[in-house]
Amino acid sequence: MSTKEERERVELLQGTLDLLILRTLLLGPAHGHAIAKAIEFNSDEVLQVEQGSLYPALHRLIKRGWISVEEGTSENNRRAKFYRLTAKGRRQLKVETTKWDKLAGAIARILRPAE
Amino acid sequence: MSRSKRMLEELDRDIQEHIARETQDNIERGMTPEEARYAAMRKFGNVTQVKEETREVWRFVWLDELWQDIRYGLRMLRKSPGFTAVAVLTLALGIGANTAMFSVIEAVLLRSLSYSNADQLVRVASIWERGGVTIPYSSSPPDFFDWRDLNQSFSSMFAYQTSERALTGRSEAKRIRAVVGTSGMFSTLEAHPLLGREFRTEENREGADHVVVLSYGFWQAEFGGLPEAIGKTIELDSEPYIIIGVMPREFHFPLQGSDAYMPIGFDDKVMTQRGAHYISVLGRLKPGVSVAQANDDLQRIMAQLRKLYPDKDEKWGVTAERWSRALVGDVRPALLVLLVAVGLVALIACANVSNLLLARTTVRQRELAMRRALGAGRLRLVRQVLTEGLLLALLAGGASLLLAHWALLAIVRFGPKDIPRLSSVGLNAGVLVFTMGVSVASALLFGLIPALRSSGMDVGGLLKVSTLSSREAGRTRSALLVGEVALSMMLLAGAGLLVRSFVGLRSLSPGFDAEGVLTLGISVPDAHYKNSLALQSYWDEALAKLRGLPGVASVAAVTPLPLSGDDFSSSFSVEGRSVPDKDQPSAEVRVATPDYFRAMAIPLLKGRGFIEADRLGAARVLLIGERAARMFFPAGDAIGQKVRFGARGGYEKNEGEIVGIVGDVRHFGLDAPIPPIFYVPLAQAGIDGVTVVIRAPGSPAALGQSARKLIQGIDRDALVGEPVLLETLVAGSLGQRRFYMMLLGAFAALALVLAAVGLYGVISYSVAQRTQEIGIRVALGAARGQVLAMVMKNGLRLAVLGLAAGQVAALILNRALEGLLVGVSTTDPATLAVTALVLLIVAILACYVPAWRAARLDPMAALRFE
Repeated sequence: MSTKEERERVELLQGTLDLLILRTLLLGPAHGHAIAKAIEFNSDEVLQVEQGSLYPALHRLIKRGWISVEEGTSENNRRAKFYRLTAKGRRQLKVETTKWDKLAGAIARILRPAE
Repeated sequence: MSRSKRMLEELDRDIQEHIARETQDNIERGMTPEEARYAAMRKFGNVTQVKEETREVWRFVWLDELWQDIRYGLRMLRKSPGFTAVAVLTLALGIGANTAMFSVIEAVLLRSLSYSNADQLVRVASIWERGGVTIPYSSSPPDFFDWRDLNQSFSSMFAYQTSERALTGRSEAKRIRAVVGTSGMFSTLEAHPLLGREFRTEENREGADHVVVLSYGFWQAEFGGLPEAIGKTIELDSEPYIIIGVMPREFHFPLQGSDAYMPIGFDDKVMTQRGAHYISVLGRLKPGVSVAQANDDLQRIMAQLRKLYPDKDEKWGVTAERWSRALVGDVRPALLVLLVAVGLVALIACANVSNLLLARTTVRQRELAMRRALGAGRLRLVRQVLTEGLLLALLAGGASLLLAHWALLAIVRFGPKDIPRLSSVGLNAGVLVFTMGVSVASALLFGLIPALRSSGMDVGGLLKVSTLSSREAGRTRSALLVGEVALSMMLLAGAGLLVRSFVGLRSLSPGFDAEGVLTLGISVPDAHYKNSLALQSYWDEALAKLRGLPGVASVAAVTPLPLSGDDFSSSFSVEGRSVPDKDQPSAEVRVATPDYFRAMAIPLLKGRGFIEADRLGAARVLLIGERAARMFFPAGDAIGQKVRFGARGGYEKNEGEIVGIVGDVRHFGLDAPIPPIFYVPLAQAGIDGVTVVIRAPGSPAALGQSARKLIQGIDRDALVGEPVLLETLVAGSLGQRRFYMMLLGAFAALALVLAAVGLYGVISYSVAQRTQEIGIRVALGAARGQVLAMVMKNGLRLAVLGLAAGQVAALILNRALEGLLVGVSTTDPATLAVTALVLLIVAILACYVPAWRAARLDPMAALRFE
């Protein structure tokens, strides 16, 4: 097994960040930093999000009504904004996931026709 | 604070917080604080850029949301096509009627006249004070000269007269419209000839007045637009006129335009004829001078004139009015009443749609509560409902433009010809903006109530309770409905009054039998007929030839013709009565042939009629109308009296002995008072223009062309007017009244339909809401009749309430119709009763349908409802 540093880091496709955020929030409300960490961690750190890019994405999702935001206190008693998946967001996640599966499957079939 | 602003305000803090957490993580991994912070910053990326991108997200958020609202709104409208159709149609009718009416107002009342600085143009008119009533009247040249020369308010003033002339010296004489005026005419109107010059002061004299300025259209038609026309001669009424100028294409005076402009040729005696009122006067105010100031100025001059010329000017006053206003004097109040009426229709339409939306919103309360629970802000919900209203209004606005367009086509086609500029009415940009304004205003109006309703509701409660019978919503709907019915009642009563007045007028006899009579104006150039004898032999020949036409029962001549809009009046003296000049009575004078009374079926009441022997050389005779006989000879001794008129219409003096009394004629229209009339025999008048009346029981209209040929066969320079059926003139005399009646009637009908739809809608809705309740009642044994009565009672209670309010309002507000009614009081009980009955019947029908449906409800289905 190679070390982390040798792994190729994959740049995110346009729009996939939204999908990842929604997926992350499916597990429960979280604050921005936690979301970024979760995405990195759950992808075995293949996906390196430039953490700042999370914010325009979060705002976009709020605007679309897919996630909502509320004030709360984090584990170490600091004030933080928690992002929560809305019902609409939940539906959207399903739609997006299905789309992604189709896309991924299609690309895989093209790249590995033999398999 | 808007959501986007709030979100962005906290962004900075969020980012700092994020970086702090990452730093903390890094420290926990063993980095030094500086390293940790540096790594965190690097990992976060470009803070400025992040902020910029986030801001970008919110930039057009309102646009996105609006788009969302619109798409959502359209989807909702599509989902309930019945509601959408009724709402859009209701609004479209309301707005369309408004647009059409406003277009008319704009064309007739508001559009400024097409003269430069038209606001400064003022009509100056004499006023004749008769028993407390003041009537604007033509002015006399001497009065005009004094006003013009003595005033301090006008920069210039001119007098004019419109007339018709015959363009002669061709194979067939052609009728042209002419204006004769004083020299200041063009400069006062701030118009200047395209070619040549205008006329000069010294040309306002008899003998020097044979010059003419042509209109652009006439110049194009007759001279092909050649500049060489200047200096050429044309023949008008068989007299030569030198062309001195051509006006530009855009010059039209008076409003309807004219073909030729000539100077008035005053003779030497003009200044002595202060009592001869026949010219119209227009003036241009000096900058900064108001109409009121000009009026004061003119009153001062008139007071001097009354002192100087007590015998001629004593009974005369003067008045100045902005020309644009004077032109529409009597039309204005009627149109304003109609504008208010159509506004009420729009109000009803809005109330209706508001009710529809309200009912729908109540139905949709659960959906809205759900959306609110899912995070939609209160403001957002209000906006959503308003957007739906706006969409309806826009759809309706589009449809209403189409409706208004058709309405205007009908108005131009069938409207009366004597409302100035009505024919130029059209949908223009201003009206378009107005419609859109009305649409948006109505959207706000009817969107607001439901929106307020929907936002103020209790989320938790709504989700739990399945049918919420909101008492308040019900009350609002009821109030709107009562208002609607009241407004319709008012409009209906108003329309009823106009109809009653119109029917009353229609049943009046004009004093003659118009059926089967063709009229044809004929005039001959007096250059060809230098004296009365020559004229008389011409008329004898012309009338004899016309009698030879097939199908003709009788042919006679008169001038001026009743209901033609022309009149001729004069003061007169009765032999043996010494009355000072200024107190002399005045009456209408008609010139007629002996068989005029037979042809028109005007009865001879006493004495004898004219006979063929009443000619020049024989004793001069007169006939008198019944009213005049009673007015001037109350002792019943009219016959045998000798009367002498001050003014003459032809070569001969109008005087003679009264030999008979004939029936009265409503010369000025069915809706105008009967004037006192005297008749002079044509053979003793020496007159060069008459109207021929041809009674031909079959098809009089077909005679027009052959009559014209016959007349022009005698003298090709004779001018023959368009043949007009007398019946058309009779109908036309009520044209404006018919127009107002039709419009108000249409508005009232619209109001009635809308109120019925409203009533129907509200009752249907309440039945739908109470389906379960009704089902239970039926299941428990309530008779169908009881259910029917219960539902009907609910609806009719509202209708009767509205009716009562409408009756009261009608009693008070229909006073505005005063000026439009003849022979009917504004509080006419019969009209009020009948209209109330009509409304009641419609209300019963509107309630019956849903009530009937409720009564037939299957209890099992009703209990399963929802």
